[in-house]
Amino acid sequence: MTESLEAAERALAAAEGDEAEVVVHAEHSGLARFAASEIHQPTLIDNAIVRLRVVRDGRVGSATTNRLGDEGLRDLAVRAAEAADSAPKDSSFPGFAPSGALPDVEGFDEETAALAPEEQARLARAALDGAADFGLYGYVTSGVTELAVASTAGVRADQRSTDVSVLVLAADEGASGYAAATSWRVAGVDPAAVAAEAADKARRTRDPQPLEPGPYRAVLEAYAVAELLDYFAFDAFNGQGFLEERSYLAGRIGERVFDERISIADDPLDPRGLPRAIDFEGTPKQRVELVERGVARGVVWDRTTAARAGRESTGHAVQPEYQTYGAIPVSLSLAPGDATIEELCEAVGDGLYVTRLHYLGVVAPREGIITGMTRDGTFRVRDGKPAEPLPNLRFTVAVPEVLADVPALGRDLALVNRTDFYGERTPAAALVPALATARFTVTGVGSGPGL
Amino acid sequence: MPRVRALCAEALDAAVASGATYADARAVVRRDQVVATRNGALASVRDVESEGVGVRVLVDGAWGFACDRRLSEEGAREAARRACAFARAAGARTDRRLEPVEAQSAEYRTPVSVDPFSIPVGTKAELCLRAEEAMRQPGVIVTSAAVRAFRELKALATTDGVEADQDRVECGGGIDAIASADGVVQARSYPAGFGGWSAQAGWEFIEELALEREAPKIGEQAVALTRAPVCPAGRTTVVLDSDQMVAQLHESVGHPIELDRIHGAEAAYAGTSFLSPADLNALQYGSELMSVTADATLKRGLGSFAVDDEGFPARRETIVEAGVLRSFLSSRELGGGGSMRADSWSRMPLVRMTNLSLEPGEGSFEELVDGVADGIYLQTNKSWSIDDKRLNFQFGTQLAWEIKGGKLGRLFRDATYTGITPEFWGSLDALAGPEEWVVIGATNCGKGQPGQLAHVSHGASPGRFRDVQVGT
Repeated sequence: MTESLEAAERALAAAEGDEAEVVVHAEHSGLARFAASEIHQPTLIDNAIVRLRVVRDGRVGSATTNRLGDEGLRDLAVRAAEAADSAPKDSSFPGFAPSGALPDVEGFDEETAALAPEEQARLARAALDGAADFGLYGYVTSGVTELAVASTAGVRADQRSTDVSVLVLAADEGASGYAAATSWRVAGVDPAAVAAEAADKARRTRDPQPLEPGPYRAVLEAYAVAELLDYFAFDAFNGQGFLEERSYLAGRIGERVFDERISIADDPLDPRGLPRAIDFEGTPKQRVELVERGVARGVVWDRTTAARAGRESTGHAVQPEYQTYGAIPVSLSLAPGDATIEELCEAVGDGLYVTRLHYLGVVAPREGIITGMTRDGTFRVRDGKPAEPLPNLRFTVAVPEVLADVPALGRDLALVNRTDFYGERTPAAALVPALATARFTVTGVGSGPGL
Repeated sequence: MPRVRALCAEALDAAVASGATYADARAVVRRDQVVATRNGALASVRDVESEGVGVRVLVDGAWGFACDRRLSEEGAREAARRACAFARAAGARTDRRLEPVEAQSAEYRTPVSVDPFSIPVGTKAELCLRAEEAMRQPGVIVTSAAVRAFRELKALATTDGVEADQDRVECGGGIDAIASADGVVQARSYPAGFGGWSAQAGWEFIEELALEREAPKIGEQAVALTRAPVCPAGRTTVVLDSDQMVAQLHESVGHPIELDRIHGAEAAYAGTSFLSPADLNALQYGSELMSVTADATLKRGLGSFAVDDEGFPARRETIVEAGVLRSFLSSRELGGGGSMRADSWSRMPLVRMTNLSLEPGEGSFEELVDGVADGIYLQTNKSWSIDDKRLNFQFGTQLAWEIKGGKLGRLFRDATYTGITPEFWGSLDALAGPEEWVVIGATNCGKGQPGQLAHVSHGASPGRFRDVQVGT
């Protein structure tokens, strides 16, 4: 039993209600952030958060604390009870999750869990030594997180997970390149190799050439694919977005929506990703098919949205602070094709090569229209080969159009970190290949690469 | 607070004993509550109490930071020791010197008429439900409402003799309606999307927002948007309301003037800046109507305090004066100070906006519009995106009103506009006066790794810009 489940059981015992549920989320992490090849913001975090929800006479109340001692848990019980007694009766409350068999997943690595601050700093220095001709910017981080759920409905579930990520921007005044790696095993990332990849990309970005806005074909590297897909998925594959018609998939289940090369799932069980066994309501995680060979198949559900839809939760309740946004797929997986990067460029012929995106904004969720910038490795593709570098480009695309005409799909999957570690550490990553699209609309031109 | 201030002293002693040449310690007790309803039912009550101590140290010129959730002597000492160990492991390549501050003992307390935590959850939920009900009408498919209350007790101590006890209270809220017709789905919010507006004030701020009173209009406008034509594209004159002006100010002025970005500290994530130190007193940021201040003493501002998180006293600074860049937001390490803020006890302080405002011009909103033969009035931010140097931006708004012959006309939907920062601010040719100037607070300003969300406020009045690209 993890310490978090032990704390959850103590909180449950202290609870005052007809029914109760406790979620404990704990973090022990280090992040060595660097700029200009020097570690400038090293941060060590230790925290554990307990959320208690109680039902009293048909009213639901909740409260959260990070005081895990007996006094803190007694105070928590009182606050949750007071909140319930003050709340209006909630006939739509779906009840707490029933007990279910947890999937047997990987996702915990002793070596990663044992990394001390000195070793986290050593990994960062390994990255910093990986490219001497540029200033390096980014971080190395590793952490252990625990999620435990206990309830009067019989749930006793917990999971201990590890994660490690390396992110490197190699840059000077006139050039910049980007690379990153993530895994649940420290042996699965090579900070020096990530830095070398970023520097290699940066060297090719000097002297960007002008480009006229307009429609282009494009190769999107896995970093760009993951970010675009993630922003699209927030509404499109979200049960709440689906019910409230913000989802592109609303009214389109069973229809062909994308190129038949495109199959998307949310797969928290895949050992190549960041495996997860339970969600933040204690529901066992499961793989959910979202798009199969271009045909819309479904969205993900938590208990609230599932109850509204007359469905079962798929185990996609997110951490409590974000639950009002609905059920969110945080283990996106795009099935690979068979093309190398060179073949993707050949499939594009005349177009663009995009490494990474920046500051995306959802312009119209229902249509899946997203705007943003490219950065740190944008090139022209000519005659099927990468050519001259380009400045940062503003794009405004309908993601369904980007994915509707995919002349080639990459064969190599990359696990792309999709969290910036706001609030509670909740690692998330997308497992995706690079792809070629026939539709990528450039609507403006920004500054050149570099600092 | 004496107990937690003693913990800060304990942390400083442990840091110095572990080799720190400078240290600051923050002991924080916080409560953050959000009551949210959706579609006529209670959606969530998030009531989070969090406490802990965060210690930042300089050891042989290298920064280190560690935190502990235990508000105890052991937790404070342990955080200090771990911070020193991490700093030593990180090592330094540059010499770091901090701008000096005067030793002082400071206190701060938000003026509050009604303690927001004295209002029962049920009362808050009922207010949200009534506002939701008032938005509902045929065509509206989703209604939601939320109110938030926040209190933070923070004790700070630094090894150069600053001690501070600060007690901050915030309140905020907003309502949203989503309407659908013939496949067109549109959202409308009051007073703004993304959680509404917040202020450093008590429950009286929620009452002043009058969510219930404004709700029927919001529902009507959401439905009207589903029937409105798409905003036509082209170069034209735009008038921005205060809410959109604040978004524009935040993204294209607030972030570029952060000196840590200019020096590359955020290059891998939030980005850098098109500005350089040499631009000070030289760069024409915008037209002569553009004057911007950073004021950590602004009444009700979310970025108001007595001292920042490294002990620098609050002040009002001129950032842009009649269009010319005059100052940056900075830290003691970067040769200035007054803008270092951490979003919790578990994060390092970073250079953040405090209360960044576009000072008012003169005249009424009607006079702004009166001067437009053909243009668009853009109201309430809907989307935002800007490049890593903060030059090329694109914003979307919920409402767009046609302006013809100095009068507001038809409603359009899905409006966006785009531009390049200095060119855009250079096209500012009218700015409404103090009577139209409002302070708007938001709690979702992201920066840093691990990520931090700052609570910042901006004052602005509506403004007029010529020859702007609307649509794509």
